[in-house]
Amino acid sequence: MSETPFKLATKDLGKDYPGTVALDGVSVGFAPGEVHALIGKNGAGKSTLVKMLAGSVVPSRGQIFCDGIEVALSSPQDAFAQGIAIVYQELSLVPGLTVAENILLGRTPKKRGIIDWQATYAQAAAVLERMRVDIDVRARTGDLGVAKQQVVEIAKAMSLDPKVLMLDEPTSALARHETENLFRLVRGLAAEGVAIVYISHRLHELRQIADRVTVLRDGRHIDTVVMVETGVEQIVQMMFGEVVQRERPGDLLPGGTTVMEVQGLTCEGKFAEVDFSLYEGEVLGIAGMLGSGRTELLKALFGAEPVDSGKVVLQGRSVDRPTPARMKALGLAFTPENRKEEALVQAHSIRANMCMASMGQIASGGYITRKMEQAVVDEQVAKLQIKVASTEDAVSSLSGGNQQKVVVGNWLSTRPRVMLFDEPTRGIDVQAKQQLFQVMWDLSREGIATVFVSTELEELVEVCHRILIMREGRIVDEVRPETLTADELALRCMGEN
Amino acid sequence: MWIAKAVTWGKSSIMELILFALCAILAFEADGFFSVDNLLNVLRNVSMQGIIAFGMTMVIISGEIDLSVGSAVAFAGCLTAYLTESLAATGLGLGASVALAMLGSLLTGFAVGALSGFIRVRFGVPTFITTLAWMTVLTGSAQLLTGGFPLMPFPEWYNFLGGGYLLGIPFPAIVFALVFLLTHFLMGYTTWGRSIYAVGGNAEAARLSGIDVARVKVVVMAVVACLAALAGIMQSAEIMSGAATTAKGWELDVIAAVIIGGTSLMGGEGKIRGTLIGVVFLGILVNGMTLMNISEYWQHVVRGVLILSAVLVNRANQ
Repeated sequence: MSETPFKLATKDLGKDYPGTVALDGVSVGFAPGEVHALIGKNGAGKSTLVKMLAGSVVPSRGQIFCDGIEVALSSPQDAFAQGIAIVYQELSLVPGLTVAENILLGRTPKKRGIIDWQATYAQAAAVLERMRVDIDVRARTGDLGVAKQQVVEIAKAMSLDPKVLMLDEPTSALARHETENLFRLVRGLAAEGVAIVYISHRLHELRQIADRVTVLRDGRHIDTVVMVETGVEQIVQMMFGEVVQRERPGDLLPGGTTVMEVQGLTCEGKFAEVDFSLYEGEVLGIAGMLGSGRTELLKALFGAEPVDSGKVVLQGRSVDRPTPARMKALGLAFTPENRKEEALVQAHSIRANMCMASMGQIASGGYITRKMEQAVVDEQVAKLQIKVASTEDAVSSLSGGNQQKVVVGNWLSTRPRVMLFDEPTRGIDVQAKQQLFQVMWDLSREGIATVFVSTELEELVEVCHRILIMREGRIVDEVRPETLTADELALRCMGEN
Repeated sequence: MWIAKAVTWGKSSIMELILFALCAILAFEADGFFSVDNLLNVLRNVSMQGIIAFGMTMVIISGEIDLSVGSAVAFAGCLTAYLTESLAATGLGLGASVALAMLGSLLTGFAVGALSGFIRVRFGVPTFITTLAWMTVLTGSAQLLTGGFPLMPFPEWYNFLGGGYLLGIPFPAIVFALVFLLTHFLMGYTTWGRSIYAVGGNAEAARLSGIDVARVKVVVMAVVACLAALAGIMQSAEIMSGAATTAKGWELDVIAAVIIGGTSLMGGEGKIRGTLIGVVFLGILVNGMTLMNISEYWQHVVRGVLILSAVLVNRANQ
């Protein structure tokens, strides 16, 4: 490794977390002047690798080399000292400060203890000029658009004059032309000799920006390839691997009755003209990449986000002014994407959380007792096989999978007609996933319809009767899972076919 | 086994134990503390603030606060007096005038609270700010109503509401007990109570669970303001006048009682029963120190220190 011209390199790098190996045996090098893309599905280990290189996670084994010399990056300061800078997906700017202050945050030049504004503006302007972007350094950062804020974020990293710049999903919040500008900027930086590490799961971007691509899957380093010599199909195959297709039980047949009809649903800037019908007992998948509008759509269906036009028809009647409370009353149930922030009260007991949506069903005339609740809670705990010591423990004491089951149990007790699941399998173990699929199929047998949104496309192929493909806020295609594989579905989601 | 159980019980009832210890000490140290008359007196003294404290517990659990309850007490007293005077001047009987005036005060209180809640959910203004504004508005309004002098239009029997006894028990204490039972039942045994906990614990999760967060917040704000008006009426009955200078600083005593009772200012956690302990604790403390002839200056210091200690004890217990 020490003879290579790599600015930054790893050898057999690995990281264990209690119970899981997050990353294992990664040996990769980043050369000056190259744009090196890191790709993989959720949970493939991209962020673990990046965090180790940025000094915020300490490796369990393996080595990291800077200029061929082994280094220990035990804090972000260590990484800075080695010239490694990172721009995270979530912006870390202070909206109330000027662009210049943000770029030089904590390092503003001072004269006799007072900020030297002239020097501050000049230094910040110099950084931006070097990047060939035109942003007023005196502007209030919060007044800029997301794309420009992204640039300011990069400028902040660049002001440290790094040798390695890591960009974590930098385009996730950007529109197409803004992405173009960002690419131009990234290429410019690479031309100056900076090693760029580009993390993304937007495959179509890779051809435009990446020189080499490293693919991770399930924490393992699959391969590093030269982009111009490799087809997107090959990369997708590496991302997904040989997927063992499991069969959906054969007795699940959706009925002919429409339970929900969505007509021309539009929310400016999020999704547009969404039409589809959902049938009794059907498991309908919605596939789409991050930012395709799937989460927003699902929330809107539940009345949790306002829409600009279009309507949702339930049991033959259009719902006007939908709210979550009204949709619940009409038989809809919704498990949100972020269960910690949006579905559970972490400090409350498992019991209280499992009766949050369903308390109307449990209570008689608004009167409710522990006893009444406990019966319902025990039923769901047994049915969903939730592992709990006591249902009076705080829900935060449960694992991700069991927390998700609490959310699902909470909604099952409302006796819904339609279940909306947004990324229900995120951060839960394989066994819990299978149990969740079992729940969807059991619901299907009872005639209850399910809408299942997931980025894990092989799950959709496994579980659903029908899959809608969403891209840039529109439903662009409808497929039968029997007719295609997860990687074919991935290509369609990215608009490659 | 029984030791472990006793420890668990002791931990969950730590404030009760401290209160019991305080009573035991005072029984020996403070002359006349442990007499029926004195204890009923304590009960009367705490009941008006206590009534508000139960409402405040709901508000704080829901993740909001009401700083205007002290001024609301004074305002309600003055408004009742003012309305009584005005209605009686139109030739209406004094009894009917008082009854209508009380009703008017309660409704006004309810409306003021509901408005704070509405401003909170519609415009996102924290109730800390809105009720801070109400605090001065209501104090000013009370002064305007009375013109700076106490109004004294009340008939003799009106005094019963604040100073009377029913079966030997002070009337305000009976109201205090009723409000306790009502709010205890509401918070512990109804979907309403559960909704309040859920909203305070995680408003977004509550909303996405189909709970009407806005309605919950508006109603709890209205309820506490209405209870403050009720306390205001009883207060005016006790002193037989509507005076703008009464109940100054009550909001702090009320909030202190709620906090001592173990309710989290962050929302989502707390118990009406805890607030009952908090209210009685503060009442007994003041009473005991007064009986022991401790100077008022020292009383303030001791009270402050004990409030902080109680919160630390609750914290350590979690």
